[in-house]
Amino acid sequence: MDSLKEDLKKQIIEQLNLEDLTVADIADDALLFNDQGLGLDSIDALELIVLLEKYHGIQLTNPEEGKEAFKSIDTMAAYINKRKAA
Amino acid sequence: MNKPALYLSASSTISHQPTFGNPGFSAALGPVETSSVLISPDYKAYIDAGLLRRMSKILRMSVACAKDCIARAGIEQPDAIVVGTGLGCLQDTEKFLNTSLTVEGLLPPTSFIQSTHNTMAGQISLSIGNHGYNMTHTQNTLSFEHALFDASMLLREGDRHVLVGAADEHIDMLEDIAARLEFKAAAPLTSGASFFVLSSENGGNANAELTDIYTVGGTENRQEEIDAFLDRNGLQAGDIDLALYAGAPVQGAVRNLDYLSLIGVYPTASAFALHYAVDVLGANRDVRNVLICNALRKSNLGLTLLKAVEA
Repeated sequence: MDSLKEDLKKQIIEQLNLEDLTVADIADDALLFNDQGLGLDSIDALELIVLLEKYHGIQLTNPEEGKEAFKSIDTMAAYINKRKAA
Repeated sequence: MNKPALYLSASSTISHQPTFGNPGFSAALGPVETSSVLISPDYKAYIDAGLLRRMSKILRMSVACAKDCIARAGIEQPDAIVVGTGLGCLQDTEKFLNTSLTVEGLLPPTSFIQSTHNTMAGQISLSIGNHGYNMTHTQNTLSFEHALFDASMLLREGDRHVLVGAADEHIDMLEDIAARLEFKAAAPLTSGASFFVLSSENGGNANAELTDIYTVGGTENRQEEIDAFLDRNGLQAGDIDLALYAGAPVQGAVRNLDYLSLIGVYPTASAFALHYAVDVLGANRDVRNVLICNALRKSNLGLTLLKAVEA
């Protein structure tokens, strides 16, 4: 699970070109779409959907699922594990 | 009827050479090395960090040059933004197409949005809050000349200041394509962006006057076209103190210089030649007339004539 979270952080930094951030700068529970967290926006949300398929083979088609899954690194990792287990 | 004079009020270039923020660069420029890389300024000084992370190389170069140019010209806003590009936003196009090969669902929105040729002009407009005329010209190796022609017409129709420029970016795939086509470039394939503020009046900061522009496609008589162009402007080849050329030298000019050897090869390298010419005219009183002769693609000919601003 921890290595999945590490991978997710690296993938987010690369996919979203977060050049000023390192893996260590992103807390597992930091809110991705909050200015106190990563401050991502709606275009980034679409990029995260691409990331899920590109790196994890998961297609996210239900927007409600996305809202929950993309809250933080913790929730993204949990969502990936849930989908892979299904 | 004589055309009204147009003035180059400001110039800015980001390239593989130390051209950015470096007036007088033309005196010290040597041939571009094959191993050279793009010399990028600190883009954060020009572009908001939130926007910067989404911008590819060509967008960063273009927006930074455009903002630098506007600041140097001392104007609030240009009346129009006109950009030329030969190959457009290659990095984003490549990223989008590569993802489409591996991903079946949603494709990356940023690279899709920014893969179009008019993204530079659009991003410049958004970055400076400009609501004026916004146009992109893509005409292969004559893209910049067409942008310059458009800017000239706007000024002659009443605009006071037009931001005009050109940009093209190198991606590794271009080397593969060149090898497959057995294309042997005259110089290394590079990236570059050059922007200018072209004005209908000299605010006291212009180094050069744009006298005339001419383009022709499918020409077989390059020298005849050059002679006729000079004749229309009341000049002979011997009146040209400096000819900056891509392709073949201009017969009869006092001095010829292959600008591709300085900047490398990209479709809009003639925009760099314009900046080089402005820089020479600003630094050297002995140079009065400069002709840029763009035959990067043999059948296309772009001619740009400049002269020193009268004191």
